[in-house]
Amino acid sequence: MSWIREGELSFIEKLTANILKAGPMPKHVAFIMDGNRRYARKCHVERQEGHTQGFDKLAETLRWCLNLDIREVTVYAFSIENFKRSKEEVEGLMELARQKFKKLLEEQGNLEKHGVCIRVLGDLTLLPLDLQQLIAQAVVGTRTHNKCFLNVCFAYTSRHEITNAVKEMAWGVEQGLIKSSDVSESLLSKCLYSSGSPDPDLLIRTSGELRLSDFLLWQTSYSCLVFQSVLWPEYSFWNLCEAILQYQLNYWPLQKARDQHHEEQARQQLEADCSCVAELLQQHGSARPAEACNRQDLLLSYAVDRDQRIQGFLSALQHKKDSFFTDLTSQAVLA
Amino acid sequence: MALLYELAWRALHAILHLQRALVSWFRARLCSWNWRLWKRAVAALLVPVALGFQSRKKLGPPAARRGCRRPRWGADGRALEKLPVHVGLLITEEEPRCADIANLVVWCMAVGISYVSVYDNQGIFRRNNSRLMDEILKQQQELLGADSGKYSIEFLNDTEQQVCKPAMVKVLSSDDGKHSIVTAARQLCRAVEQRERASKDIDVHMLDSMLRGSHVTSRNWLKFINVLVYHMKLHVFVFIPLAFLILVDLNLF
Repeated sequence: MSWIREGELSFIEKLTANILKAGPMPKHVAFIMDGNRRYARKCHVERQEGHTQGFDKLAETLRWCLNLDIREVTVYAFSIENFKRSKEEVEGLMELARQKFKKLLEEQGNLEKHGVCIRVLGDLTLLPLDLQQLIAQAVVGTRTHNKCFLNVCFAYTSRHEITNAVKEMAWGVEQGLIKSSDVSESLLSKCLYSSGSPDPDLLIRTSGELRLSDFLLWQTSYSCLVFQSVLWPEYSFWNLCEAILQYQLNYWPLQKARDQHHEEQARQQLEADCSCVAELLQQHGSARPAEACNRQDLLLSYAVDRDQRIQGFLSALQHKKDSFFTDLTSQAVLA
Repeated sequence: MALLYELAWRALHAILHLQRALVSWFRARLCSWNWRLWKRAVAALLVPVALGFQSRKKLGPPAARRGCRRPRWGADGRALEKLPVHVGLLITEEEPRCADIANLVVWCMAVGISYVSVYDNQGIFRRNNSRLMDEILKQQQELLGADSGKYSIEFLNDTEQQVCKPAMVKVLSSDDGKHSIVTAARQLCRAVEQRERASKDIDVHMLDSMLRGSHVTSRNWLKFINVLVYHMKLHVFVFIPLAFLILVDLNLF
């Protein structure tokens, strides 16, 4: 089954979509696709079949999202915690991933036609090498596409993601690219696996479980969380519309909270800059406190320097990430 | 055509808002009619149902015949197969009532829950910590009566190290979230800057222990929504119709 399902909505679905689109629409939706195993038990089929049906439903959901002008989708495909499942199930999921990524590579033309950029987020070094290479080929092959984005969280947990971001910042300090005083919430966000995407507007979890399971914990601070009891393989267009309606009903309070937080972040950054400038002045042994206009100039100059350091660090980090994938792709070609 | 769709959208949202308003009005009427009975019904029915407990041992006849509420809470807690260690209360109302939160804290304590965190985005309870404390102590007397002496409550502020006591209450605000991770990250980067550490040594356990603090056990600090959700990976959401959102720590063992 293909990653991209061609097809249009029915008349009623189109009408509903047009009505919903008259209001604020989420630009980025995240899915926790829960319920494949329960679905398999319910239908008396093998677990593997449940996961396969789950993938097919993903393809269908991506089409609905495109029809609703939702250009970015993030899905939780495989958690680091899932490695604790039985060896048989883990191997089955790895094999399913191999088949799907191989299929993806065969559909390069289709992906180019729709402008789909695939990103895989997680600690890929935990996966078998051949799967890493397939993933790398898919990511590198669709890197330049920019019409819509599919982020697949594979070998992922939010804690690992946050820890990795802290580690990257520490690497930046070690390399002399940034200072420890440059560390901020905004910089940490730019070091996450998902740094290329805006935060999700809407997070949907199926199967009735009311928890986040270590998924996008940092990014969903101001997202609308919708928990739906339907099992993932049974997800329908109407379930998606219901979730979008919830998002629209809660749009203004979330927007207000988000704006307040941005203001607070800007205030904290200014405070941090002031404190750094004061410390620098003290270190340089200024005999008297700097005059107000001098202080303002110093502050501006410090902020510009900080921004330049951070840009340099982020470029180096991006180069490191890109090299990881291109090295894997080269290995795959040579093999 | 676009205008028609917009009108349809506005009509749909008007209907949904009206439905919400009617439901809130109805609940408010029911609450004012018999507030205490309503609260206890909500607590008795919704929390165990939402947590999906599979079985409950039946209470012995003497407790039931006595018809006494207070010893029953403790028995109810012991009767549950799984009891959360830590409950987080996310206040979603703009003007939360101290008495409501104090009630919930006292019920949690009476049932046997060791840690309760209270969060509101505005930081109202953070600024008026003593008011909440007084209300909790008052509710403790009122609801638990003669048994109130069995339960001691400890309030923890930022600087205080945790000591193991029967019930710990922590008040959180938006400063306790991502801010605390950024502070820990800065400390680690400073250590790297001063060549006390290497970046490759940083892992999940190191960051975890920095965030939890050296004297805090693994089940403690809950930080939610804007607040940090680092510890929320296994937490279950329970929504109750009193403008609260309760988070329950599933690290039960």
